[in-house]
Amino acid sequence: MAIGTRPKSAPEKKYTVRICQGPGCALSKSEQIRLAFEVEVKKRGLPEVLVDFTGCHGFCQQGPIVVVEPGDIFYTHVTREDVPDIVNLHLLKGKYVERLFYRDPLTTEPIASYRNIDFYRNQQHLILRNCGHINPETIDDYIVNGGYTALQKVLFQMSPEEVIEEIRHSGLRGRGGAGFPTGQKWEFCRNTPAEKKYMICNADEGDPGAFMDRCTLEGDPHAVLEGMVIAAYAIGAGDGYVYCRAEYPLAIKRLHIATEQARERGFIGEHILGSDFSFSVHVKEGAGAFVCGEETALMASIEGRRGMPNPRPPFPAQSGLWGKPTNINNVKTLASVPVIIEKGAAWYASIGTEKSKGTAVFALAGKIRNSGLVEVPMGTTLREIIYEIGGGVAGGKRFKAVQTGGPSGGCLPASFLDSPVDYETLAKAGSIMGSGGMVVLDEDTCMVDMAKYFLSFTQFESCGKCIPCRWGTRQMLDILEDITNGRGTMQDIDLLIELGGAIKAGSLCGLGQTAPNPVLSTIRYFRDEYVSHIMRAHCPAAVCKGLVKAPCSHACPAGVDVPRYIRRIAEGRYDEALRVIREKIPFPSICGYVCFHPCEDKCRRAQLDEAVAIRALKRFAADHGERKAADQEQRAAPSGKHVAVVGSGPAGLTAAYYLSKRGGHAVTVFEALPVAGGMMRVGIPRYRLPEDVLEREIEGIRAAGVEIRTNSRIDSLHSLRKQGYDAIFLAPGAHAGTRMKVPGEEAPGVIDCVSLLRDVSLGNEVALGQRVAVIGGGNAAIDAARTSLRLGAEKVTILYRRGRDEMPASPEEVREAMQEGVKVDYLVSPVSISRQNGHLAMTSIRMQLGKTDASGRRRPEPLPGSEFTKQFDTIISATGQIPQIPEKMKLWIGIDQGGTLRADPYTSSVSMSGVFAGGDAVSGPASVIEAIAAGRQAAASIDKYLGGKGSINETIALSEDVSSLPKMPEEEGEHYRPRMPVLSPKKRTQEFRLVEQGFSKAAAIAEAQRCLRCDLETE
Amino acid sequence: MSTGAMASNPEMAGAGSLQLTIDGKNVPVQKGKTVLQAALGAGIYIPTLCYDPDLKPYGACRLCVVEIEGMRGAVSSCTTPAADRMVVRTDTATVNLARRVALELILVNHQGDCLTCYKNLNCEIQKVAQYLGITEKDLERLRKGKQIVPPDTSHPAFDRDHNKCILCGRCVQACHEIAAIGAIDLAFRGCATRVSTLGNKPILDSICVSCGECIARCPTGALVPKHYEQPTHRVNTICPYCGVGCSLSLGIRGNGIVDVQGRKGSPVNMGGLCVKGRFGFDFVNHPDRLTMPLIRRAGTKKEIKASGNPGDAFYEAGWEEALDRVVQGMTRTVERLGPDAVGVLSSAKCTNEDNYLLQKFARAVLGTNNVDHCARLCHASTVTAALAAFGEGAMSNSISDIDRADTFFIIGSNTTECHPIIGRNIRRAVRNNKARLIVADPRAIDLSEIADVYLSHLPGTDVALLNGIMRQIVEAGLHDQAFVADRCEDFEPFLRSLDPYDVKKVEEITGISGEKIRQAALLFGRAERAIVFYGMGITQHTTGTDNVKAIANLLMLTGNVGREGTGFAPLRGQNNVQGACDMGALPVFYPGYQRVDDPGAREKFEKGWSKALSEKPGLTVTDMIQAAHAGHLKALFVMGENPMLSEPDLNHAKEAFSKLDLLVVQDIFLTETAQLADVILPATSFAEKDGTFTSTERRVQLVCRAIDPPGVARSDWEIIAEIARRMGYPMDYRSSAQIMEEIARLTPIYGGITHDRLNNYEGLQWPCPDRTHPGTSRLHEGRFSRGRGKFHVVQDKPPAELPTVAYPILLTTGRILEHFHTGSMSHRSRVLEALAADSRVEMNPEDARRLGIEEGDLTSLHSRRGEVQTKVRKSRRVRPGLAFMAFHWGDAPVNRLTITAVDPQAKIPEFKVSSVRAILAVLERAAKDNKFLAALAENPAGALSSFDLTPEHRRALVNGDMASLEKWIGPLEERLKVWLKARLRQENLSEGQSTKI
Repeated sequence: MAIGTRPKSAPEKKYTVRICQGPGCALSKSEQIRLAFEVEVKKRGLPEVLVDFTGCHGFCQQGPIVVVEPGDIFYTHVTREDVPDIVNLHLLKGKYVERLFYRDPLTTEPIASYRNIDFYRNQQHLILRNCGHINPETIDDYIVNGGYTALQKVLFQMSPEEVIEEIRHSGLRGRGGAGFPTGQKWEFCRNTPAEKKYMICNADEGDPGAFMDRCTLEGDPHAVLEGMVIAAYAIGAGDGYVYCRAEYPLAIKRLHIATEQARERGFIGEHILGSDFSFSVHVKEGAGAFVCGEETALMASIEGRRGMPNPRPPFPAQSGLWGKPTNINNVKTLASVPVIIEKGAAWYASIGTEKSKGTAVFALAGKIRNSGLVEVPMGTTLREIIYEIGGGVAGGKRFKAVQTGGPSGGCLPASFLDSPVDYETLAKAGSIMGSGGMVVLDEDTCMVDMAKYFLSFTQFESCGKCIPCRWGTRQMLDILEDITNGRGTMQDIDLLIELGGAIKAGSLCGLGQTAPNPVLSTIRYFRDEYVSHIMRAHCPAAVCKGLVKAPCSHACPAGVDVPRYIRRIAEGRYDEALRVIREKIPFPSICGYVCFHPCEDKCRRAQLDEAVAIRALKRFAADHGERKAADQEQRAAPSGKHVAVVGSGPAGLTAAYYLSKRGGHAVTVFEALPVAGGMMRVGIPRYRLPEDVLEREIEGIRAAGVEIRTNSRIDSLHSLRKQGYDAIFLAPGAHAGTRMKVPGEEAPGVIDCVSLLRDVSLGNEVALGQRVAVIGGGNAAIDAARTSLRLGAEKVTILYRRGRDEMPASPEEVREAMQEGVKVDYLVSPVSISRQNGHLAMTSIRMQLGKTDASGRRRPEPLPGSEFTKQFDTIISATGQIPQIPEKMKLWIGIDQGGTLRADPYTSSVSMSGVFAGGDAVSGPASVIEAIAAGRQAAASIDKYLGGKGSINETIALSEDVSSLPKMPEEEGEHYRPRMPVLSPKKRTQEFRLVEQGFSKAAAIAEAQRCLRCDLETE
Repeated sequence: MSTGAMASNPEMAGAGSLQLTIDGKNVPVQKGKTVLQAALGAGIYIPTLCYDPDLKPYGACRLCVVEIEGMRGAVSSCTTPAADRMVVRTDTATVNLARRVALELILVNHQGDCLTCYKNLNCEIQKVAQYLGITEKDLERLRKGKQIVPPDTSHPAFDRDHNKCILCGRCVQACHEIAAIGAIDLAFRGCATRVSTLGNKPILDSICVSCGECIARCPTGALVPKHYEQPTHRVNTICPYCGVGCSLSLGIRGNGIVDVQGRKGSPVNMGGLCVKGRFGFDFVNHPDRLTMPLIRRAGTKKEIKASGNPGDAFYEAGWEEALDRVVQGMTRTVERLGPDAVGVLSSAKCTNEDNYLLQKFARAVLGTNNVDHCARLCHASTVTAALAAFGEGAMSNSISDIDRADTFFIIGSNTTECHPIIGRNIRRAVRNNKARLIVADPRAIDLSEIADVYLSHLPGTDVALLNGIMRQIVEAGLHDQAFVADRCEDFEPFLRSLDPYDVKKVEEITGISGEKIRQAALLFGRAERAIVFYGMGITQHTTGTDNVKAIANLLMLTGNVGREGTGFAPLRGQNNVQGACDMGALPVFYPGYQRVDDPGAREKFEKGWSKALSEKPGLTVTDMIQAAHAGHLKALFVMGENPMLSEPDLNHAKEAFSKLDLLVVQDIFLTETAQLADVILPATSFAEKDGTFTSTERRVQLVCRAIDPPGVARSDWEIIAEIARRMGYPMDYRSSAQIMEEIARLTPIYGGITHDRLNNYEGLQWPCPDRTHPGTSRLHEGRFSRGRGKFHVVQDKPPAELPTVAYPILLTTGRILEHFHTGSMSHRSRVLEALAADSRVEMNPEDARRLGIEEGDLTSLHSRRGEVQTKVRKSRRVRPGLAFMAFHWGDAPVNRLTITAVDPQAKIPEFKVSSVRAILAVLERAAKDNKFLAALAENPAGALSSFDLTPEHRRALVNGDMASLEKWIGPLEERLKVWLKARLRQENLSEGQSTKI
């Protein structure tokens, strides 16, 4: 039969139903779907319908996938029950089953043909050209699609040298990961004189999460075979092996079928297609050692020896399998070869980048919306792959990093999102292309844990031959183990870098030479996470088991024992619940009302349905629990030391509280304003935090023996010293708004958000007018906008220079603001302000998001010519806050670039002995809970400085008998949190009344019972 | 292929010199060498832990890394071939980081204390650590390895402590590349990787052959000898076990041997040793050593005790008294009955000088040619046949030819067990050089597993097999017509004699398929360079001489003699059996195979020894026994031989020995033979004497005294000289070297050999006619020693005894790896004895099943001549109907069963074929006085049909009701009950039938 023609026996079919039986779909029992189709089609007597199966279609997330042709109609998540519908409607009546269509995630529009789905539209399939479109067990399907024409061309029109030249010109490089130019490799082997040579296809794909080779072999085995025969012809090999891991039984089966069929048709064997060239192919099963992906180990394994690498030189092209010159290529490299021969080197070289030609296949996995198999031209950016094809990070979480190249690769942070994916760029960034694994990591991934995971893999898979790899990776793993259990030291980071360098330099084969990459790249890009584990025993992603009892408590900057007080609420013991909270913070109510609750972000319940409403429960405990006077009697004996605290915000008062109560020191708080409370009083609007709640908690501080002096501005540390204070804690906050750096911002009517909120809090008269613009995207901007509404503004617009996803304000605040009528204008930035006839005219410019900046967010860039001007009565700048440090103090204390005080992050001490600093003045504007944490740290340090032990933790709650707890239900059903009763938006904006009304007892107890008690988890 | 293979490739080596720059220094190096070798050659130190010049480069320890311009990263210098103009740096930041970290990692994972480690101060890790300057502080920052693995202490010679192992792989490589065994390899992955046997079993349960090559190469204390003492000095000598002639370095402390190493410079063993050579020398310091002359107490019975205290029959005497007794006895016998009434047995274990002097004593002092030694029992047929065919009775080529051959034919030799170092060389050649291998042996040997063709022919059918093969070769036109025409004679009659040996006939005789015979013929016929190895499987037959002649025919037919990589290779059993023959410890030859019945030769020796000599050829060992039995031989002098275990039909031999008037035994232990002696003279072991041994490849090598003899023991030659002197013939030699001077004078093939010339690694291979001659590594080059090679017509003849109904099993005998000859040395080695404590008869599982015998059952073997009891090992190495047993055991002397039938020409007994029957020992005891059991013991099944069984009896038998049976036939031993139950099942009785009878 001539190549390229359809066998006569096959009649034209009206419809072809192709059921994907790639690994993912097969797991979802797609075979049963195929059988169901056959039964159904037979039942209906539809001879013009061909029911067939294919290899992986790539979009595994949507599996099981059924494609009906013509029209490339793409049915997703098909079940057996859907089969009659498809047969009835589509095959019989020509109507589509729309409910099974893929829906655009943004527009939710159903899309019929896969060609119109972003996932596919942004790809270019060369290697996967037939995958998902042909029956991989039928050679005719391959031939009909142009298969084996390249072989014919090569055998009868090209000399081996010409083939090598063509491949060389195409720029094809090894897709196994190292990227060695394929043509050069072939030439090297061709030029080694020998009677016998071997051609090996490396299908020992062992990276966790990688399934590119598997899908290629399962979906289109002939493409690989054809490439192999062409390569064999080029180098002059008479025998070939496909070394495929035994864990791929289907790939092996299809390889056997394919070689058998190819042999029958004369594409392999003696005198191929009647030419002088003979080549036989053997399929060899690997026994599952990762290292056998390494060429020399692979050959040892074929020879029947233990799969261990040998140093090179000699290279396989000189002395390979059984000492004969051998050429080894990856599955994808070989699958690319027929296309190159067919379409020409120039065509192929036109795809990709200067040094990396053609396409690459990636197995997209991890925290990604559209996981699956993806083929794109080289040089496609990570962002295009992850966002445009992959649909972005799953579950609305923040992108953290992408791991390329599997366990030998590295983790790249967001700043690399716009880097093109090619060999050189990735290598420069400290990662590798590898064979094409791409794992997306989100904010809930601990990078130390990630490094540990990949290292434990390489350590386990090390063949054990050379010392650096065998014991070096173990040593690094032991260190990481220590770090993730809070036993690491800062020197360990340097040690990891040193060991990593030595292992890379000293290891025998690629496995060892790349094994440290995940560790080195995470240290390079996420060093702060290592430091956090070491210095604070804190895992920012709340992952590391050795440190994290419950992720909520772990995420809480002050370390409040969340699950314990939630259990107390569930038991109805609200006083006890409150005590548990108060063991870590002196402001349980304030946190209950306004905390930005990082705890809830890590709540494991969210993986089931929705995070437990921890903040609301805390408020409930604070509202309903009684503060017992007896608790205050635990005050420590007087130490005789005096401490001055500058600033009465959450940081200052927290420090004062613990220094007085736990340290027994005499503490005086100096407050410049007439009222105590700092930003809690003058920053947080009353509709979020009522005055009486605040007052009650400040009263509690005073009750602990703290003296608070208002209207007492401190300009000089020396004066405090002279007054006999043994230690000073500076917590003046960040009460000055930053400038927008926009011409005209000095104009009257342009105010800053901090001043506005302060004036409102202090009861000063503020007039804003009707039209208010707020510039900025943080929580302060939202507060300013909502406050403006309450002050009578009719039209409040927030202008933010980036997009919705980049906005730092908490989403629920934004949501509430919008409910109240605030408009948010994204991607806008002010250019100039001028005062014109009593109004402010602000010219703004539209922005677009460009390349990623160091923060991982895309940098907004002005869209030239998009300027527009609008009129406002008031423009509120909410672009940032800085502390106001008296000039005299600056002489003594270091100031950082952003105008903040420089203090040691772990001891809070500043460059002057006996002086400590914390809160917003050090960190820049942050949250109440972070300020409390800063106050706790400062209190401990100061107490130590004054001769105490620095132990500020309180034990005031009764101990808990966890054995008596009621059992958790075996299988938890989905339950969502109760809705927080709130004032209607209309009522809210009229005055500063409290918006949230708090849970009822029944709601609180029910909500408390949703807690999964992670802290009690046993292995 | 590794670079090592490239380095050893002759095309690459020596093809010229390269220039490298190492650390700025110009370094010339031969092409094919590695960068490491270049550096080491230029005196530039590069630390290594896995490098061993004897092994292929491995590249695992990563300490030898260097930086090379144009190469990425740090590369291992041990694996990188040197190239011209290569620029190498051995001391860069990257290199030092990689080295330091690698070594630090070794150290933190190294468990154990240096001070208590036997390797302390000899430890290679310590050396490298010192070089790199690793301090305690460097290690503190690292995590200490926690993995502790229990050591493998199963082996009697050494322990394997994984906790000190650095996985340098040298032991694994040694086991694969040197020993060619592969008992160990790396197993598991990651940091759990360790050196393991198959299935991670204890080493003793593996295929390990205990050669200890691994221990010799371990750079750390991971492979620990069980009993180690640091020697104070070393002495070089030659191994006293088999005929391979391995060169040894003995570690001496006080008066003891505490350590043995192979000498690397030796062309024979190149540093390698087998289990006996490495662990078998504690016999020298064994308390059983004879330290005083012993004289039989008057009136004691001459008997051999396997246990108890055999020394009770003797009293310790001084040399004077003992020698007087010997001299008087000898003199009286000669005077009364003539010199031929005295016999002398010389020893293949003693030096050339000892042997020379003893045969001189027999001939010149006693006046008889009745001198022989145990070569009669091993290679007499070789000497006879090869002298006839080629003109020399010895191996034609050298052991080193193994590396150059492309085909081996091993017939009747269990090479890896009996000549382990040669066996290992063959195995290596097959594995590494892809040499082809044909094995023919009735009992499968280790090498048959890797053979291209394995022929399991019936015992005693070698001539038919060889003739059959030769006929096929001729038919295929693969014979070397030019060689035959140019260098041989009597080809035509030989060619015609092959006619009857068509495939069909040979199939019938040998039991081998024609196809296999053809395969073997084609393989051998097509070989460029082939060697035939054979051992006692060929020689110990009534057709022994014919067998060897057939081999000679095969070699001449295919032109495989006298060329590199070819040869005729009889493997001599004992360390100096070649030398003992060379020295004329044979009844028809003076030294150097000069015939006693040749007047010219006689005249020469009469002149040399100043004494008239007898022209009458003497008696062979086998003849002497017959003569003693018949009363013609009355006195026997035995030096270092133990015929009471090694002779066939021992019961008969013992009778013969008991009839002697005087039996003098000169030995180092109270052997079975010594127990029958009248006078026992304490001699020295190899370690206590000087002299020479001649190995199987005609290599004369120097044996050096390392320690003092125990008690008043004396060197054999000194004792002989003293007796001679006392008998009136002066033998005033000052040293064994002086004896060698006399040997050289009278023995042309030893003409150029002196002790001085042997003081090197190689020794000299005879013929070495004069003092400037370099020795001869290959005989018959260009011309056969006898002129033309002579084809002999040999025809197939059946063995003397074939299985019958009464004796249905064909028994063949031989050796095992761990023991040697009659075991007087190896049984006194702690390690060897622990490895193979009990005698065993090897029996096919099918036979065992038929006899109701299980593994380890004590079983009686009977032949027409005697009986032994031994345990059974079931093995498929022997075919059904064939059994194998080694002759090393005094408590189970298999030679009680063997036959005295001899080869008519060489007088060698047919040890390899005798007929026996086997019976479970416990059954035999019980059946003696029980007709019922006796009937059951007689196979086949159905014996009980002739018994008149009551229904009650029958029921008990059918049900295997032992309680009832015991009431009937008396109490039964437990093993017997098990046997009985199984046996009764074969009787196929049923209760139903009972009513019919």
